[in-house]
Amino acid sequence: MTEKQQEREFTPKIVGFLCNWCTYAAADLAGSTKLEISPTLTVIRVMCSSRVDHNLLLTTFFEGADGILIAGCHPGDCHYGKGNYYARRRYAVLKKVMEGLGLEPERLQLSWVSASEGNRYADVVNAFSEKIKALGPNPINGRPDF
Amino acid sequence: MKAKIGVYVCECGPNIGETIDIPRVLETIPALEGYEDVELVPKSFGLLCSPAGKEYLAKEITDNAFTHLVIAACSPRDHNSTFIGVCKEAGLNPYLYKIINIREHCGWIIHDKEAATDKAIQYIRSGISRVLYQSELFERQLEITPDVLVIGGGIAGMEAALSLASEDRKVYLAEKTGELGGKAASFASLLPRQGRGADVIREKIKAVEENEHILVHLNTELESSIGFLGNFEVVLAGNGDDEKTDLKVGATIIATGYRMSDPGSFTGYEYADTDEVYSSLEIERMNGGEGIALRSGAKPASVALIHCVGRQEKGYCSRICCNYMMKIAGYFKKQSGATEVTEFFFDMCLPHKADQEFFDHSVGLGIDFKRVKEIGLSGTSVEFTETGGGKQRMDFDMVVLASSLEPPEGTEALAELLEIDLDERGFFKEAHQTTDPVATSIDGIFVVGASQGPRGVSDSMLLAQATAGRIRSQLKPGGKIVPEVKVSEIMEAYCTGCRTCLEVCGYGAIYFDDQKGISIVNEAVCRGCGNCFGSCPSGALRTKHFTNKQLYREVTEALK
Ligand SMILES: Cc1cc2nc3c(=O)[nH]c(=O)nc-3n(C[C@H](O)[C@H](O)[C@H](O)COP(=O)(O)OP(=O)(O)OC[C@H]3O[C@@H](n4cnc5c(N)ncnc54)[C@H](O)[C@@H]3O)c2cc1C
Ligand code: SF4
Ligand code: SF4
Ligand code: SF4
Ligand code: FES
Repeated sequence: MTEKQQEREFTPKIVGFLCNWCTYAAADLAGSTKLEISPTLTVIRVMCSSRVDHNLLLTTFFEGADGILIAGCHPGDCHYGKGNYYARRRYAVLKKVMEGLGLEPERLQLSWVSASEGNRYADVVNAFSEKIKALGPNPINGRPDF
Repeated sequence: MKAKIGVYVCECGPNIGETIDIPRVLETIPALEGYEDVELVPKSFGLLCSPAGKEYLAKEITDNAFTHLVIAACSPRDHNSTFIGVCKEAGLNPYLYKIINIREHCGWIIHDKEAATDKAIQYIRSGISRVLYQSELFERQLEITPDVLVIGGGIAGMEAALSLASEDRKVYLAEKTGELGGKAASFASLLPRQGRGADVIREKIKAVEENEHILVHLNTELESSIGFLGNFEVVLAGNGDDEKTDLKVGATIIATGYRMSDPGSFTGYEYADTDEVYSSLEIERMNGGEGIALRSGAKPASVALIHCVGRQEKGYCSRICCNYMMKIAGYFKKQSGATEVTEFFFDMCLPHKADQEFFDHSVGLGIDFKRVKEIGLSGTSVEFTETGGGKQRMDFDMVVLASSLEPPEGTEALAELLEIDLDERGFFKEAHQTTDPVATSIDGIFVVGASQGPRGVSDSMLLAQATAGRIRSQLKPGGKIVPEVKVSEIMEAYCTGCRTCLEVCGYGAIYFDDQKGISIVNEAVCRGCGNCFGSCPSGALRTKHFTNKQLYREVTEALK
């Protein structure tokens, strides 16, 4: 690869909100199995996927995230009962809001990864990272002017 | 006061020592931009979680008088609690510390050491930025009562009561009917070993009655319950009189069992009261009493036992019928070896360890097992299609139906009263089927025996004993409980009283203050999941230790 190509190679910045009980544990498992995972993702631990509210997600995009992954327990497995169902609903609403803002909805992904799915965690993160790489940089980096 | 933050990087032997360039990390930290007003003290240590490491860390905290602490090491799932302990010992409020997982999130998964080091620096920056916005939180200790209420006096409820009652723990046992024992009290014999059957139950009843620490309330039901783990106020009400009993208990165990659905209500099984058609429970009662006979008093010469009645309509397997139907077949054979017994089943469910042996034994008794695809009744005439065969009809003197087991009457009301959930079948729902099978969504409320769904006596007792263990460790007599401190709170000024948060909270932790017209979080009940936060349209909620400001700091640093 020439230096120029390297310069052009886009490294996305992705924020991953992982629920403490399932996906965060899966990330630990992926770690202890020494799976190779893209450094593009930064993990932020939350107690439940339901904690992630619209403000937090939008701010994360406005601050320049190229992609956001919300990941939690499989439906029916939320540590707090139904948190992930609420997360799913909020996610669906936010996708609509994103369209309105001119942000590709694919930049937001919701995945269910259980504590025992270390391999799946690695696959989800690596695939999402590739997807965002293909999409290119976040078009509304910085707060939008309404 | 100027903030002084200790930043300790743990080598974790080669785990971090060899995967991350620690000297480079330590060099970078003091020069971080944007922290000119903060004193950063970066250091590294071999194994921070070792006794030597903990001692070192505690001394460092005290000697340096740190205002905040960041530890770059392993997963919080491994050692967060270790370092919380160290902070407490050293007099630093543990909510002013944060662990950064540079092992699982950097060293182990980013195989290029330079890239892993860059990422570790980024995470540490996030951590430093976040701790500055963390606030002290203080744990509270609450007095508890160790006493327990058990609702339902069947085998599950009695076993729970017997396992818990002691000098320093009273158990109140509320039974809706006038007798203890539940369904199994009428069974002549009990699977899997058959043996003494109802005697087992009678012995338990005697043990309960003789136990001075168990206070039995017959003909009694729950009227109300408010409170939380360790501190519930409940009212029991007599169902025949107006007697009310106010109690303070630390936990409640639901052991209300099951009910047999009416077999005649299912398509293909409509029968008249005068037909010689009985439910399996009726046969148990007859067998335990005068013996099994037709209405004329004669003994039947031929019997059809039909499994899985109503399974299709109900949509679930009742789990124990295949088993007890073989036991019932044995009752007939015991009365008269000449009785012809035919069992019609769809799938044979033999889950317990003694089941196969019992099945082989039943075949040996000469019981005819027919596997069917379709079956229907017309009086005591049975029309069926065997798997791999055509339609046939056989006439019997008597028909016995293993009808689906369903939740008993009053289950929905009880669930509503206790604010817990029911599953898709209408039975009480466990907190987690796989990992938390006796708890419910409300801390301090447990569910045992067949009230969780159909199960046999030994499984029911097992759940009762498991629950007793949980309660003994959660509610120690004379002990206190420390409620979660990372809870949510509602800022009065912003709350519009829309009540959205009340709906999403799975723990009933939020109540509405009618006078103020706003919602309030009961901190003793809240588990800090943050779901209410995600739902509030007015920004009135705040989840302590996971505030938006704190998370924004992490996000912002990650995106720099
Ligand atoms: C025909 C038949 C044969 C069986 N044979 C066997 C066998 O051989 N071996 C075996 O292991 N299992 C057998 N079983 C299963 C067995 O009956 C159950 O495992 C057992 O009864 C479960 O005990 P339990 O205490 O959970 O429920 P239950 O026995 O149903 O007792 C529940 C108690 O709670 C009371 N109650 C209900 N609602 C309330 C309320 N709201 N407030 C206060 N009290 C309330 C009821 O009156 C009852 O006393 C058989 C079941 C059937 C139908
Ligand atoms: S604290 Fe964590 S990172 Fe440090 S030695 Fe112990 S396990 Fe390893
Ligand atoms: S959702 Fe927010 S505004 Fe609505 S009642 Fe709850 S705290 Fe108040
Ligand atoms: S944080 Fe969770 S448990 Fe606490 S009040 Fe909010 S929704 Fe209920
Ligand atoms: S705890 Fe994992 S999604 Fe709710």
